[in-house]
Amino acid sequence: MTSPDLPDVIDRAAGLAPGDALHAARRFRAKVVEATQASHDALLTQPVEGLSTADRLRVAVHVCNTAGATTLAKHYEARLRDDAVRDAPPSAALPAMLHFAATLTTDPRRGDRAALEALRHAGLADPAIVALAQLVAFLSYQLRVVAGLQAMRASGAKGTS
Amino acid sequence: MIRRNGFTDETLEWRSWLEPLQLADASPLQLEVLDESHPQSRTSPYYLTLAHQPLMLRHRSAAYNAIMYAPGGLPRAERELGAMVVSVTNGCVYCTSVHAQRFEQLAKRSDTVEQVFDEPATAGTNERERAIATFAIAVTQRPGALGADDIAPLRAVGMSDEEIIDLLHAVAIFSWANRLMQNLGEPAGAG
Repeated sequence: MTSPDLPDVIDRAAGLAPGDALHAARRFRAKVVEATQASHDALLTQPVEGLSTADRLRVAVHVCNTAGATTLAKHYEARLRDDAVRDAPPSAALPAMLHFAATLTTDPRRGDRAALEALRHAGLADPAIVALAQLVAFLSYQLRVVAGLQAMRASGAKGTS
Repeated sequence: MIRRNGFTDETLEWRSWLEPLQLADASPLQLEVLDESHPQSRTSPYYLTLAHQPLMLRHRSAAYNAIMYAPGGLPRAERELGAMVVSVTNGCVYCTSVHAQRFEQLAKRSDTVEQVFDEPATAGTNERERAIATFAIAVTQRPGALGADDIAPLRAVGMSDEEIIDLLHAVAIFSWANRLMQNLGEPAGAG
C-alpha cells in the first residue's frame, strides 16, 4: 500500500502537491482518496477476459479527450506508452467499446439495451461489459473531481483553516 | 408522495439488461463484497450485476459510502441535494427517487424536492441550497469549463474548502452512479 499522503493520480492531474493546502484538504476524506485511487487501479488492472489493460487505457484516453479532461488524458496516454502494454494489439471489439464509451460520457440518457447488445455482438461477455461500464462511469467521476479541484485552485483555495 | 416532470419520490425497482450474478454461483469474495456494499445487495439486481467484478465493486462501494455517509464536513442532507440535482439533470429517474427520499428523511421536508423536480437550475429554498444546485449542474454539464467563478458562490454562503470538496465528491460520484443505473438497466414500476 502506498501512503495516502503521497500524490495520487487526481493530485497530479489537478496540480496538487504535498504541502499545498488543497492537498491537505483532500485528506480530510482520506477514505475517499484511497478508495478512488484503488478504483482506478482495479478498473485498469484486474484481469477481465476479453478486456485487456491496453484497451482499457485506449478507452480512458478517448473518454478524457471527449470530455476535455486534458491533464487526465495525458496520464492515461503515458500509461499506454508503458512497456508492459505498448505493443498489445487492440481487440476487434475496440471500436464498439470506444463508441459505447463516448456515448456514455457525453450523454448518459442515450444509454439503451441496444448499446449493450452491440457490445455482446462484438464479443464481450457480461462480466467484461460490467468492467467496461464501471471504467467509463468512474472516469466521469474522476475527471469531475479533477476539474473541481482545478477550479478551487484557480479561486485561491485557502485549505484547512 | 411527489410526482412531477417524470420524476417521483416513490420507491422504484430496477431491472438489469445483463444477467445478474446468481447467488448460488457467487464466490466467497463476491458474497463478501455484496455484504459490505449495501444491506440489501444480495437481492438487488443492480448489486448482483456489478458483483460480476467484485474488486471493482468493493472500491466503488468504499468510495460511495465514505462520500455519502461519513460524519462531519458538509451536512448529509446537502450531499443528498447535490446527488438529487445531478440525477435529475442526467435524467436518472431511479437515482432521483432514492435520493429524493433520503433528502426528505434527513431534511424533514420536501419543498426543495418539488423545486428540483420542476427546475433544478432555480431550485433551493435559500441561498445555500441554490448555490449547491447551481454548482451540481455546472459540474455535471460542463466539467471541462469549471473555474473560479463556479467556486465563489459556495464560498459566499460560508462553505469551507473541506465542505466544497465533500460537495464535489457527492456531485461527481453521481456522474458515476447515474451512468451505471441508466446504461446497465432501467427502472421498473413502483415496488
